[in-house]
Amino acid sequence: MIYVLIFAMGAIVFGNRYLFLEPRLPLRLTRRVRDFLAFSVPGMLTAICGPIIFMPGHSLNVSPLNPYILGGVCAVLLMLWTKRVLTSVVLSVCAFYFFRWLI
Amino acid sequence: MLASSSANQAFYRGAIAVLPLSFACAPWGLLVGSLAIGAGLSPLEGQGLSAIVFAGAAQLVAIGMIKGGASLLSILVTTLLLTSQHLLYAMHMRPAIAPLPGRWRIGLGFLLTDEFFALNSQQVAKGFDRWFALGVGFTFYVAWNLCTLAGIVLGRSIPNLESLGLEFSIAATFVALVTPLVKSLPVVICVAVSLFCSVLLSYWGWQSALVVSGLAGMVAGFTAKCVLEAKP
Repeated sequence: MIYVLIFAMGAIVFGNRYLFLEPRLPLRLTRRVRDFLAFSVPGMLTAICGPIIFMPGHSLNVSPLNPYILGGVCAVLLMLWTKRVLTSVVLSVCAFYFFRWLI
Repeated sequence: MLASSSANQAFYRGAIAVLPLSFACAPWGLLVGSLAIGAGLSPLEGQGLSAIVFAGAAQLVAIGMIKGGASLLSILVTTLLLTSQHLLYAMHMRPAIAPLPGRWRIGLGFLLTDEFFALNSQQVAKGFDRWFALGVGFTFYVAWNLCTLAGIVLGRSIPNLESLGLEFSIAATFVALVTPLVKSLPVVICVAVSLFCSVLLSYWGWQSALVVSGLAGMVAGFTAKCVLEAKP
């Protein structure tokens, strides 16, 4: 039963990933569509972050003392300052744990 | 000979490029492995989820639903909604990947995760290298499965792994990737709308919160861009 679920989930996820990569699917990307899709990186990645940062443990927490928010702000500032992804991630995770411990 | 050595180099460049993200996702891999065991799955089933499904958020939610006794159909519908952002990723990657031979399309399609997209999407315009993409995707696949395995092994020995706040590393990574992109007003609007909607819709318990919010942000950003360009 669990294996049926695993393979069915695998098929669904692969279907979502592969559908638009199939060249026989009639789909032409105009310049406007490309312009639209250029927003998919900031749009989607931000949507993934939102609930993690503002809803830790599945409950809303918009207090400025939420360590996830403070850590997220650190990640933005570090990225603007250092322009290095790995450095910013490592330091902001450290900052996050520091705030969690402090608050 | 020359071609194959440059292919090799591109593969390794991809593998190295994805290492930071692999580390950032390690906690999620651990979590997926340990939660699978906690939900009563066998180690092989837990590993199978990562090996076959290979979608962190869908795996976590499915495990939670299995634990809660949800039906097969409801888990599959949730999976469909929760991973529908990949349709957008594929559409974005289409000009680069669709012309490739079948085995490349299927292989890279299988490896098309959030992380793969984050690293390869900018390459579409600048010159896409399939070997670089394969290095990114394959390395991440191996790392994800190793972390799952570690999670399965450690699952029993670390109590309350969920409450350690490990998922912050994912948010930190995506924040770091998005920050340099925010250079124009339309992108600011896109990010703001996406962020607001994702929190609101998650708060309302929408299973499709992620993709709906992402789309809302994209539409808002695109509309702003059109309006600004239409001005003289």
